[in-house]
Amino acid sequence: MKEDAAAAGTATPRDVAVRISELRRAFGPVVALDGARLEARAGEVHALVGENGAGKTTLLSILAGHLRPDAGRIEVDGRPVAEGRAWSAREAWSLGIGMVHQHFALVPRLTGRENLMLGVRRVRGGWGLPTRRLGERLGRLELETGLRVDLDTPVEALTIGERQRLEILKVLLRDPRTLVLDEPTSVLAPPEVEGLLALLRRLAAEGRAVLLVAHKLDEVLEVADRITVLRAGRTVLEAARGEVTARSVAEAMVGDAGALDAPARAEVRVGEVRARWSARADGTDLELRAGEIVGVAGVEGNGQRALARTLAGRATAAEGRVELPERVAYIPQDRGREGLIGSFDLTENVALGRHGDPGVRTGPFGLALRWRLLREETGALIEGYGVRAPGPGARAASLSGGNQQRLVVARELHGRPRLVVAENPTRGLDVAGARFVHDALRELRSRDDAPATLLVSTDLDEVLSLADRIFTLVRGRLVEVPAAERTREGVGARMLEALP
Amino acid sequence: MIRARWWGPLVGVGLALAITSLALALGGYDVSAALAALWRGAFGSEQAIASFTLKRSVPLLLTGLAVALAFRAGIWNIGAEGQLYAGAVAGFAVGFAGGGLPAPLLLPLVLLASLMAGAVWAALPALLRSRNGTNEVITTLLLNFVALHLTGWLVQGALQEPRGVFNESAPLPTAAHLPTLWPGTDLHIGFALAIGAAGALWAIFRFTRAGFLIRAIGEGPEAARITGGVRSNRLATAVFLASGALAGLAGAVQVTGVDRKLYDALSPGWGYTAIAVALLARLNPLAVIATAIFFGALQAGAAGMQRSAGVPFAWVTVVEAIAVLGVLIAARERTPR
Amino acid sequence: MIEALAWVAFFEAGVRLGIPLALAALGEMVSERAGVLNIGLEGSIIAGALGGALGALATGSAGAGVVIGGGAGLLVGLVFAIPVVWLNTDQIITGTAVTLLGLGGTAAIHAARFGATGTQLSLPTLDPIAIPLLARLPLVGPALFDLPPTAYLTFALAPALAWFLFRTEWGLELRAVGEDPEAAHAAGLPVRPLRFGAALFGTLLAGLAGAHLSLAWAGTFAENMSAGRGFIAIAVVVLGRWSPWGVLGSGLFFGAASALQFLLQTLGSDIGYQLFLALPYILTLAALGGWLGRARAPAALAQPWPRTH
Repeated sequence: MKEDAAAAGTATPRDVAVRISELRRAFGPVVALDGARLEARAGEVHALVGENGAGKTTLLSILAGHLRPDAGRIEVDGRPVAEGRAWSAREAWSLGIGMVHQHFALVPRLTGRENLMLGVRRVRGGWGLPTRRLGERLGRLELETGLRVDLDTPVEALTIGERQRLEILKVLLRDPRTLVLDEPTSVLAPPEVEGLLALLRRLAAEGRAVLLVAHKLDEVLEVADRITVLRAGRTVLEAARGEVTARSVAEAMVGDAGALDAPARAEVRVGEVRARWSARADGTDLELRAGEIVGVAGVEGNGQRALARTLAGRATAAEGRVELPERVAYIPQDRGREGLIGSFDLTENVALGRHGDPGVRTGPFGLALRWRLLREETGALIEGYGVRAPGPGARAASLSGGNQQRLVVARELHGRPRLVVAENPTRGLDVAGARFVHDALRELRSRDDAPATLLVSTDLDEVLSLADRIFTLVRGRLVEVPAAERTREGVGARMLEALP
Repeated sequence: MIRARWWGPLVGVGLALAITSLALALGGYDVSAALAALWRGAFGSEQAIASFTLKRSVPLLLTGLAVALAFRAGIWNIGAEGQLYAGAVAGFAVGFAGGGLPAPLLLPLVLLASLMAGAVWAALPALLRSRNGTNEVITTLLLNFVALHLTGWLVQGALQEPRGVFNESAPLPTAAHLPTLWPGTDLHIGFALAIGAAGALWAIFRFTRAGFLIRAIGEGPEAARITGGVRSNRLATAVFLASGALAGLAGAVQVTGVDRKLYDALSPGWGYTAIAVALLARLNPLAVIATAIFFGALQAGAAGMQRSAGVPFAWVTVVEAIAVLGVLIAARERTPR
Repeated sequence: MIEALAWVAFFEAGVRLGIPLALAALGEMVSERAGVLNIGLEGSIIAGALGGALGALATGSAGAGVVIGGGAGLLVGLVFAIPVVWLNTDQIITGTAVTLLGLGGTAAIHAARFGATGTQLSLPTLDPIAIPLLARLPLVGPALFDLPPTAYLTFALAPALAWFLFRTEWGLELRAVGEDPEAAHAAGLPVRPLRFGAALFGTLLAGLAGAHLSLAWAGTFAENMSAGRGFIAIAVVVLGRWSPWGVLGSGLFFGAASALQFLLQTLGSDIGYQLFLALPYILTLAALGGWLGRARAPAALAQPWPRTH
């Protein structure tokens, strides 16, 4: 804390619009924030960067009043708020914090105008803006910002870009002193990105504090006055733009580079398994081979989900052809919803993935399940994969996130699959949990009957450290990354290239 | 979500009895006399047990099972009432038309017809749910009224008794009467049938793959689809129809076992009470036997309570309602944040 | 001449049967617009009927009875809305229990107060107010312009609610909460209080509708006199597509369908009137099935908030 004040340097308390210190928040056993701090000053664009899972979204959710912190301090304009209690989104608004969400907080069936009016009264008091004055303000804002949206159409009929413009307009209408934007450029076309960054600078110049969360470093460096880097829930770097380079920021984000070294490659055998998929008629064919891990890197929302589900046989391809082996293991991204049933016990959750297997069926026409066998198998899986649980009869929901994922991995990999599809398998896990998953995937390659593995991940380091071949997935198109370019920069460049 | 902890139903029932006793005391009734009359009316004699308590529990048991089955799969079928009417009408029609057949042949036909009619009555909501995602709560509710009015139309028209005076049908031929289960009382074999259905449903949930998958689509529809590879729409539709069939069976059992005629208001709302029966049983088919008998006993006892202690019959409904509210509040999930 | 009289009687009966439906359904519409599906409406209606009857007896004034009836509906509404909004219990099951509670509770109170045999109550009635000139219009005059005050209230509520829902910020907020409570919360709206208020408003109108039944329609109270109107009101809201004018119209349509029995009897038709009773439900099903254009329910209808994980 004392060092913080020193690090803040010349700033006088009055300049600081939002100060966050020693913020902590855990979700069950998963620690999302572990002493994060941040200082956004009036008149500046402040960038908050970090890897996926570094805690950026959690921090923003707390700042916007959606989540309660476990510990820590938030000061707005020098006054402490929300000490020891949750504060509401409404309070956040009324303290002048305006939030542009990554997932837009717009009501789909209301028109743009209705969405703009929504809640203004709550923030500004009284009966809100008369429609005429709203119109005037809007006109002025549109002129100043160049943000134009059709306001009389229901939001559900607008494009993603239009919805974002609406969301920003909505926040600006409330005239916030601190403007927070969560990954705002990820849905915009390049010329729009330029416009947005210019707008952010203008808004800061008017005396606002602008807090920008982003993952594209070049954009961040172009626009930010100050930068805060989060890693594993902690603030690891706070600096002015002039004090850092792209390289130093990237290093701060990644941390100990040694821990992420790729392992020695196992022997790869070719043949046996073929899975083909094309996202479009002109999509690239993807061929998976036994004993090989193919990594697919990409920013979220580029078709990862469809790719993973199609190759796992859980969805049918709109076009193209998929040839799948009989046994496909699937480690879905959202284990709580898609991989497990929380109210079921562990045996039942193992049965969920195994119920079609003739070995566990019995009775006339195989109508019944061999529960005793399944229970024994579950016991063996718990033991063999080190799932920390009281026993096969424990409810899945009572396990920690890491142990839930261990159970899913154990169930999926145990059945001697010929193809393994893993979608962001370490998301939300702590270090030990992530290492377990990585080791389990690597171990597959050394099996006698090694399966083909497809790893779809938004965590570039995970892909780099595990995969034998790497593809980028941008807007539904797969492009292979040549062996020589398998570095962060190389893959990143490929991803940028693929953008129109 | 609606499967309370095991003590939830006990708390609910205890709370209900306590609140109603208090209300009765405040209302100037003699509570201990009222409770004694309640007990005598429900369990005081062989007749009370068989001809009142158990006989009244049969339609509650079958519709309770129908609701438990649907709710287990995450289907909000609140149309058991209408499905019961559909089954009653179809069962009556077959029994009436097949009067010349011997009972061992006719009765299975009657019951089969009621199963099918109940399923047909559930088919439209099931189809709309799986095709368009239309909320089944409103569609099943609407069809209850359609069934009620169509039954009324039939007993004043095509199926009316020959003299055309009363809003009821002619009596069923004896071949279509369900045999007595407990000699000397009114308890018919429909009770055994319902117990058998509960046992079968329990075994299906407990042992079979289908039962397991039904629970899976109810508890975790996404996981069932993604991890379990279940075609959940198809399975849910099948469960919906089966639920309707069970409720339809309740209608035919009531008509052939008790009423032996078709009335326009043959059910006092069993299909709605069934929701309370199923919920109090935590959707467990074996426990539905217990809660259905409990509700049957309450209703049988309430009649006695009204006769000898002057306590209005309607108090029973209040007990049922408070018990359900108690369970709901005990079962609620804590919300995050 | 007889036919003309029969038609007049038909319109009159249709409106009279339709008014309590439309009144309760307008309230339910507001509740559903905020995302609360109240299947316990029946409980509020019957409580309103009994409350109205007891209130009128106690005060000797039918007008005071109506107010007390509305309060009784609201009281039962609290039993529904508190668990549903603040404790996140399931709306459907809670509503079913509240219906049972209302029906059983009113029957028990009625029996306790007036004896189990239920001697016919004779209440001060809410008299119709004829609007000069208009009430004398042929055919529709008596049906539309010679009605008790609760009926005029119902007619007035349709435009009032249309203005409220679509022209005021309160209405906008209410609709937002029923469509997307997450987004509404993010915009700073108090989701639970808004839902609570909307649900209670619905039960207040249901109570008034119940009081209308006992004080303006029957002049007495009888067990189960609500006769499923709470459920019918839910169908009325669907057929009216969650719009005030639509709900008023479909309420009157449901009333007219019930009134057909009198017309058919007078005209000597032998088509079963029950078929016409079933017709509105079938039309409502058709609307839900998409065969009558699209009827879209509020997106968050019957969903708890905040959602559990």
